[in-house]
Formats: sequence, structure tokens, C-alpha cells
Amino acid sequence: MSEDENVIPQANPMPPTQPQPIPQPQPIPQPQPIPQPQTIPVSPQLPIAETPQPIPQPQTIPVSPQLPIAETPQPIPQPIPQPALSDESEAMPMATAEAPVTGQTRMETAWGSSEGDEEYSEMASVGQTGAGEIFQQNYEPWRGELNPRWMRNWAILRHHVLGIIKKGHRPWGVPTKIFLVIVFFASLSDAGLTLLASLIGESSFHSMWGVNRDNLYGHVLGFFPRNVMYYPIVAALLVGGVISEDRLHGTSALYFSRPINRFDYVGMKYASVAIIQAIIIIFTLFLYYLTEIMAFGRGWAWIIDTFPIFLGALMGGVLLIITYTSIGLALSSVSKGKFFPGIGLLAIILGTKTLAIIVKNLFDREILYLLSPYDCLAHVGQALVSTQPTYDQYSWTWSLASLIAMNAIALYVLSSRVSSMEVTRE
Amino acid sequence: MALENLNLDIKKGATGLLGPNGAGKSTFLKTILGLIQATSGDGTVLGHDIRTEGAAIRSRIGYMPEYDALNPEMDAINQVRYSGELLGMNPVVALQRAHASLQYVGLGEQRYREIKSFSTGMKQATKLACAIIHDPELIIADEPSNGLDATAREFMITTLINTVKQGDRSVLMASHLMEDVERVCDDIVLLHKGKLAAQGRIKDLKAIDREIEIHVWGGASKLEAAMKHRGMRVRREGRVMRIAHESDDLTSDILRCASEVGAQIRRMHEYEASLEDLFLVIMENLGYEVKTSEDLLSHPINARKVDAPGHMGGGAA
Repeated sequence: MSEDENVIPQANPMPPTQPQPIPQPQPIPQPQPIPQPQTIPVSPQLPIAETPQPIPQPQTIPVSPQLPIAETPQPIPQPIPQPALSDESEAMPMATAEAPVTGQTRMETAWGSSEGDEEYSEMASVGQTGAGEIFQQNYEPWRGELNPRWMRNWAILRHHVLGIIKKGHRPWGVPTKIFLVIVFFASLSDAGLTLLASLIGESSFHSMWGVNRDNLYGHVLGFFPRNVMYYPIVAALLVGGVISEDRLHGTSALYFSRPINRFDYVGMKYASVAIIQAIIIIFTLFLYYLTEIMAFGRGWAWIIDTFPIFLGALMGGVLLIITYTSIGLALSSVSKGKFFPGIGLLAIILGTKTLAIIVKNLFDREILYLLSPYDCLAHVGQALVSTQPTYDQYSWTWSLASLIAMNAIALYVLSSRVSSMEVTRE
Repeated sequence: MALENLNLDIKKGATGLLGPNGAGKSTFLKTILGLIQATSGDGTVLGHDIRTEGAAIRSRIGYMPEYDALNPEMDAINQVRYSGELLGMNPVVALQRAHASLQYVGLGEQRYREIKSFSTGMKQATKLACAIIHDPELIIADEPSNGLDATAREFMITTLINTVKQGDRSVLMASHLMEDVERVCDDIVLLHKGKLAAQGRIKDLKAIDREIEIHVWGGASKLEAAMKHRGMRVRREGRVMRIAHESDDLTSDILRCASEVGAQIRRMHEYEASLEDLFLVIMENLGYEVKTSEDLLSHPINARKVDAPGHMGGGAA
């Protein structure tokens, strides 16, 4: 129901008033900025006549120069006779108001609303917003089938691993990518030198770089800087933001509002980081071993002799990847950035090793090596490859137990933190 | 916030989820997403059990979170594509749908830009694109117009309306902007302290707070007294009075009173409460028991008590 229809006839007809001449609309002298709609000044101080007085005509609505102006005169509101007032207090809006009333409300009470002004401003607004818009919104339905769980898990794995080499997937930082490439080629140095030894035919060169028990161990755990600089830093760069950035950016909601459970989420993240490390550590170990076979034409007898050693080194590499990934992801799950997890992992690996060295030199006790992930890995690796052990005060099984405990603690922290990740708010 | 004795039946179409902070809206959303287990009771969403079929529910729901849920380093097209892959879509199909979804939410020309360069409105639109990429039957939009400027807000609301009307999808919209809820939704669910405070069609619920507003000139006090004498419930502020719409011939009664006391009624119109008024009325006056629209309409007098609460000096129930 429009407002006009709601207007109720006057309950108390007023005495007839003398017809007043209707003023003609004022011509518009020149374009002017749109003024505010004129209001009739009503003041409490205005003397109120005893008899009804004609009320001045309301001003015609100012029309902006931009708006089309009708040729015919605007309709002029009829004069509104002033009603008879029952008493003075009723006639004074301010006097009768029990609560503060705005001027707008008083004007509306006395003269009705100013809906004419609103229409003009609305017309101008429509004209401005409608210009130049070329956009049609059409909802396109999709009737395809969603693939099962393995496809969703594959999407997470693919997103993280392909992000290293391809745009459009997880955006790894440029320094991370550069460092990974450097370490990958540096890890191939023993394979390259083996190939070189076969080309120049120098036996002493081959005995230094070729495949043997010590070199297979050294590829994964032994030589400086590979043991304490390459792989720990690779792990630190990779694990840094894998989970923490989901907390930071809120992208955990993207995962958990999908049909992905926590185990799949953390499992695929874990696998992604582990696979990238495996490409650098284990794939290069395999290439090293293959180069020896191909370059020197090794036969089955040699392969049967050395394959257990190769497998021992490979297992040492797997243990290293698992341990660094577990600790790193646990640190990533308790933070909201990639700096703390990365630095934290390096501090744990290098700090515990440094502390153990100091204690050993001062007190000739190796027991603190059990707190060092790297030394535990090295000790177990030496046992797996059957090379000369450098930790002789305790059995390698203690180091293995320590590694298992470290992984268990890290995985517990990781799982509990991922379980508490929210889909609605972090 | 734990939910308690929550019995709900949400129909197809758009439904608003309202409630003050801590009312249990997030818990409710997580429950229907199958992310938390109810300690007692049961429920189904789209025919799936919320206790055992969470993954199946989430496959058929599109969730648009309130907070940032996008990787700022990714471009929009790949972010939306990845969200489709997480649902199990083939990468090629996901990419195709990502283009269509971004076009639908108005980001067709911006889809190759990194999300970190997006405005808040564009990020909200990207989240909506992620939610609708698999054409879900139910879209849960958590504060979809939060933090948007007028233009972006209008577009978001229009998009949600189109999704319901044109796309024939259902929307469950949690928002504290009552005006937006009123525009998009036909029904509301009002939660408070983990309990259902009210639910029903907005139009029906609004009927509990319907009044006639009159603007009086001359004899306002006499008219007020006369109307009260006839048993009408009158609230007055100066010349403006609101009379509870309790009878069909109320208009005639008001005019009759005005005629008797010699007062002029310059304007008279039906006053319809906004959703915000309705929210306040329900929260302040009806207590927090379960209220359907039938419950509320059966006690319209109580619903109209809109004075200040008692502890603030008012006479509200």
C-alpha cells in the first residue's frame, strides 16, 4: 500500500480557508549545484495565530541541471490549512514531545514526508550506476561425478610436489627452489666423480669416489657439508610453512570443509615433504649406485655383494627423511609462520649435536648424543651399512630407540595440533 | 559453545542463521558439516547422517568461511581449481568449472591475478567461487557480506539471491547484518546460548510485531487517552503513536477516537518491524525457549513488549 493511500482524511474538518493564488513555478535562471530540499522553517518561537492562517506554499523541488526538466510546470502542492489547535501545548511539538524528536520527524508530522526529493535522487543514482556495465550473471549447473578418496589425496600430494617445478600449484618460495636445485646437483657430485673416474681410468680416483661401504654411508649421513648443511636445511625449508601457513592464511578451512579427514590431510602433507627430500637424497643415491654399474660395467656378482650395503644406506636415508619430516612438521603445526619451524628444526639438529660434542670433549661422555637426531641417525646408519662406528660407548640400539621416541613425540604433537585445527576460525 | 536440544528442520531455499556472539552458530555449522560429533541425538543433512557420513555431507555442501581461507600467493583461478580437486574433481574438469565459477561471481577478468592483490570483496567472491565449484545442493555462507563496501555487498547479496532463485540451490547464511539476511532469506533460525530461540518464515515472524503508526496534529494526548480507554495498546513519542495491531477494525477504531476528541491524523500506515527489531523483540522479551512462528503468533501481546529491559528502567516482560 502506497503512502498516499495511507493518508487518512482529516478527522476534524477545518474551517474553510480563503483560496490563495497559486504562485507560478520559478524559472531556473542558471544551472546550479543540487541544493538540499527546501524545508519550511518551523520554530517553537513562531507565533501561532488564533485563527487559521494560510501557510506559505512549499518550495518547488529544486531540479539539478543534469536531470531532464519537464516542459510543463511541476505540480504544485495545494496549500495545507493549519488545523485548529486544541490548546497551546498541543500546537507546540517541542512542548508535547516526551522524548527528543528530530527536526525531520517534526517536519514529517506537520507536512508529510518529502518523498518527492527521494525520487529525484534515486533517478540520478540509477543513471550513474547503470552506465557501462556489461555483465550477465548466469548460474551454470554441473552434473559431474566426484572421484573417490584417493583422488582427493592425490590432489594434495600433487599440489605440493608439483609446486616445486610448476606454477599454479603450491607456491614455494624462490630461495627454497634455488636451494633445492643446488643441493640436488651437489648430491650428484659423487655420481659425477665416479663417471669421471671411469672416463680417465684413474684407479686411485675411483677408490676415493667410487661406490663402497663408506661412500654409500657418506652419501646419506657422512660427509661435511652434506650431513649437517644440506639435508637439515632442505628439511627446514620444506617443512617451514606446510602446516603453519594453513593456520596463517586460514586455508585449513578449505581442506576441512571438503571431504578430507585429518589423517589424509596430514598424511599427504607428510608424504609431499618426504617425497621432495627423497628425490634429493634417495634418488641421487640410486643414481650414484647406477652410475657405478653402468660406467664400470659391474656384473651380477658385484651387485649381489654390494646391494645389501646399498639397501642399508637407503634405509638410513629413509630414517633421516622420516625423522626430519616428523620433527619439522610438528614444529610447523605449532606455529603460524614458516620462520619458526625452519629455525627450530635447525636448532634441534645442530644445537643438540653441538651440545653433545661439547659434553664429550669436556667429560668424555657420549650419552648426550642420544638427544641429537643427527647423531642417532648416524649411529643407526653405521650399523645398517656396517661401516666403522664412531660411537663406541653405547649400542646402536639405544640410538634406534631414541629415534623412535623422537618420532613418536613429534607425531603425537603433530596429530594433536592438526586435530585441533578449526574450520571456522583459527 | 555446546548445542542443547536443538531440533531443526531447514527447508529448501534460503535460510538465515542468526544469533549473538557465542550463540553456537559456528558449532552448529561444524555439526552439520560433520566435523564434530554430537554427544547425543542425531540428524541428517541432505539425507546423510551427521554422525557417520561427514565426508558425504561435505561433498554435497559448499562452505564459504567467514575468515580468510585463501592462499595469497596463488592466483584466483588455481586456488578455485585446487578447491575443486580437493572435492575429488578431475584437474581438467576442476579448471573448467573454476573458470565458470569465477565468471559467475564477477571475477572473470581478474582470475589470473594473485589473491594478495585482491580487495576484500574480490576475496569474498573467490571464496564463494570455491564453494560453488561443484554445484553443491547447499551453500553455507558464513558472513558473506562482512567487511564489504556498498557496491561489493550489493553484488554479493545479488549473487546469493541469484544462486537461490536462478540456480535453485539452497543457502544457509549466517550473518549479523539483518538487512542482508532479510533480502536473501525466506526463513530464519535464531540461536541463543546453544538453544533454538526462534525459527520460521520471516514474514510470519514479523507478524508478531505489527503496528499501525499515526502522526497526529492537535489533541494528541486526548487521542492517546481515548485509545487507551478503548483498550488499545499505544506507544507514543510526541506526535507519533504506534498502536498494536490486534484487531481487524483497528483503523476504524482509531479514526473514531480521533473524531471524538477532535484530533487530526495526518498520516496513518502499517508499521512492519525490521528483522533487527524482530531479533531484539525475541531476544529481550520472549526468553530463550524454543519458539516457532506458531508459538510466537499465539502470544502476540508478549511479542510487542518492546520497552527497555526491566533492569534499565523499562517495563518489559
